[in-house]
Formats: sequence, structure tokens, C-alpha cells
Amino acid sequence: MYNLWLFLASFLRSMVKWFLRRTTGLCELQRICYGEMSGAPRISAVEKSLHLSKCSQIKKLVAHLNDISDNCRLKGSTERDILKGAVNTVLVVKKINPRIHYQFVKNFSKCVEQIWGYRQLVAQVEAVRIVKYDSDNIEHEKKLLDLWQALMPCVQLDNRISKQWQDIGFQGDDPKTDFRGMGLLGLENLLFFATEYRGPAQHVLSHSLHPVYGYCFAIVGINLTSMALQFLRNGEAKIYFYNTSKCLPTIRLFHQFYCYLFYEFDRYWLECKPVDIMEFSNIKTKFENNIRTYLSKPKAAFKMNIAVDTI
Amino acid sequence: MGLLSILRKLRQSPEKELRLLLLGLDNAGKTTILKIMASEDITHITPTAGFNIKSVVSEGFKLNVWDIGGQRKIRPYWKNYFENTDVLIYVVDSSDKKRLEETGIELFELLSEDKLVNVPLLVYANKQDLPNSLTSAELAEALGLHSIKDRVWQIQACTAIAGEGVRQGMEWACKSIRRNNCQSFPHYY
Repeated sequence: MYNLWLFLASFLRSMVKWFLRRTTGLCELQRICYGEMSGAPRISAVEKSLHLSKCSQIKKLVAHLNDISDNCRLKGSTERDILKGAVNTVLVVKKINPRIHYQFVKNFSKCVEQIWGYRQLVAQVEAVRIVKYDSDNIEHEKKLLDLWQALMPCVQLDNRISKQWQDIGFQGDDPKTDFRGMGLLGLENLLFFATEYRGPAQHVLSHSLHPVYGYCFAIVGINLTSMALQFLRNGEAKIYFYNTSKCLPTIRLFHQFYCYLFYEFDRYWLECKPVDIMEFSNIKTKFENNIRTYLSKPKAAFKMNIAVDTI
Repeated sequence: MGLLSILRKLRQSPEKELRLLLLGLDNAGKTTILKIMASEDITHITPTAGFNIKSVVSEGFKLNVWDIGGQRKIRPYWKNYFENTDVLIYVVDSSDKKRLEETGIELFELLSEDKLVNVPLLVYANKQDLPNSLTSAELAEALGLHSIKDRVWQIQACTAIAGEGVRQGMEWACKSIRRNNCQSFPHYY
């Protein structure tokens, strides 16, 4: 029954496409690139159209681009060549004259960049996550100490192994075991927040030390890395990235997304007035659902609302 | 899969909810064990802020496993989860010799709790794959488990990240619940 429905839907889609192509003289991709608003609405529509295409050359193109982005090869001059190649394939297949439809070439190219840039970003972020925190690695250790320095500029760390780590919300004397499955990504997220958004990070850290509504800054942060990663991977963050990114997305954009989540989570946590940290799972789930709802709106693009707080 | 068969064995008392409490120091592997029990992915685990709970339901059986964070700041909240516990599962990182004393103290504090009187104890000697980890026998000795006389207890060697040993521990836990139930049946009627 479901298969029959799928078949009918696909058949109907082809009919409508054929009819529109006849009447407007434009293929579906052109109609999207001219008709849809720039940002997520246009990019998502192009993405859907390409993935539903039955044309073998388009299918091949999609597979080719998938392969390139999964291997993080979309960058620099290669990127320009790849985008040009992708556009040309579509121009040939859809018999589009680039001189008349130069605007299509421009818009479509941007969409391809964002669609596969996002896919590449997923691979890049994963590559950082799978690196386990290693206390024998000087670079890892430096990042950890930088984190302390950025969050606690006025306090000297007595020793590499110290109870002081708990002041910024790690579990024990040595943060090395706290990154767990988030690996280096958890640390890089925290470090980005602490260095690039110094003010907001300090502000959030001070909330985490609140005698009643306090929580463990770093541990909550690592849990939020997991949340950000989930949104990125399952594609729920696509609308946000498509709306925010102006060029090829980089890992910085993911870090910014994370910072937003952290800042908002802190606000939400205080709003909920939790009795103690044991409410974390519940509040996290609620927060996650709120973000999910927000991310599904076509105009989703966060701005950090930095407010003067009274607590 | 293993869990299902254990549950099937327990069919004599259908529709019973069992409450298992997972405790231990931070980084002992509680959440990993919880996820292994629920046959979930264990590659994306984060430190537990608060607690996690998973229920495995099968043929009218409900196994509620509570995994409470192990860091020092959270330990004072452990007591809020003692009530009606059917089995206490205590997880130890067998390679963390520095904190052996600390984990022992926490364990014996738990055993002296009124609300956990007679509750069967299962100790997982986790991380057997790591070099220099204590064997389950060595760990039992070091923790002084043999001095426990007021309840049934068992120590089970395991390597949770490889899924090894977790099932055997659960089998013992379920057996001990049945034993406990048989003893206390008269009180129910």
C-alpha cells in the first residue's frame, strides 16, 4: 500500500514537473533558483530536487559530490573546479543557456557549495571527535591549559593535576577522562566558546557557580557538544547552517552553533529554576525539543542575545 | 539479545517492574554498561550530569536501570534513588588503583544504608582490557568484599566497551532477584 502511494506520488511529481516545464520553459532547478528565497528555502529545495532526480547523469553527479565532501576534498581551487563541473553538468543535462541564465549559474553554484559544504562539515567535525584526548600529546595539553587561562584569567593553576579543575566544572582532578566519546571536539568547542566569546563565556561560567542553580560548566558543555553534533548529523541543523553560512562552511560555524546552544541552555536552565543538578536530563530534553522546533522554522538563524542579567 | 533471554527466564512473575541501581565513581563505566544492556551505541558517551535511565520492556517485564552520575558533587544525591532497589550494581574501574580506596569507602557507605539492607550486590570489575588492571579476585580482595555477610553478592569481571562480561553479571542479578522474591513471598500475601 505504501509502495503504491510512493509510486503514485513520484508519478504525480513527474507529471507536474513536465507540465510546469512546458508552460514556464524552465526546469525545476531553475524555477527554484529564481523563485525561492535565498538561504535555506532555496538551498533545501535544490537539495531535494537533486536527490529525487531520476536522470542518471544527475545521480552520478550527486554520488560524485558526496564522495568528494565525505573525503573533505572540497576546498581551495579544487572547490571552484568542482562547482564549475557540477554547474556545467546541469547546464548540459537541462539544456540551459548560461549566457541567458547567468543568474541561475550563480545561484545554483551557491546552493551546491552549501549542500556539499554541509556534508563535508559533518565529516570534518567527526574527524575531530574521533581523536581521543591524549595527555601525552603536547598540543592537547596546551589546549586544555589555554581553556583554563581563558576562563580563569586571574587564577593560576597550581598543578596540572588539581582540584581546581572542578571550579570550571570538570569532574575530578584531571579533565583528561571527562571528554569521553566527544574526544577533542568537546575540548575545542569549550575552548572556542571561552576564547571567541570571552564575555558570554565568563557570564555563563559565573552562572554555573551559582550556589542554588549552579551546574558543572565543562561537563554540561561536553554534553552540549553531543547535542550540537546530533543536530548536525541528523540534518536538523541544516536550515540554520544554510541561513547563516555565506561561503563554504568551516568548523568555526559549528563552534558558533555550539556557543549559541550553550548560551541559550544556560538561560533556559536558570529560567527553569532547577532544584539540583539531578534535573539535568529532563531540562536538557526539554531544551533540545525547543531548539528542534526552532530549527525547523525556515528562517532559523540564531543570534546571541546577550542580556545584562540580574541573577 | 542476552537480556531478552534472561527476561524470559524470569517469566514466573510477570508484569513485575525491577529496579536496578548503577553506582560507582566517575569514569568507572556505568553509562557504557547501561548502554550495553540496552543494546545502544557506546561511541558517543558523555559524562553523566544528573542521571540516565533506561527501561527494557519485554513480555510484560520492565527492567528499569538507573545510572547516576559518579562525580563527587553528585554522590550526595545517590541516596534519593535507593528506595525499592532490587539489585545494587556497583561499577569499579579495575585499572584506577589510585582511587581504589575511595571507591571502597563509597561502596561500604552504600552497604550501611538502611534503604539498601539485604539488596543483592553485583560488582563489575570493569576495564579488564587495560594493562595493569586488577583481576576480579584481586579487586574483591582489595575492596574487602569477603567481609560482606548481610546480603548475597557477586563480582563480575567485564570489559564494557567490548560488551564482555556484562551479560553474565545481569544473569546473576536476575537470579538473585528471584531468590530474594521467593524468600519474601509470604510477606506479599
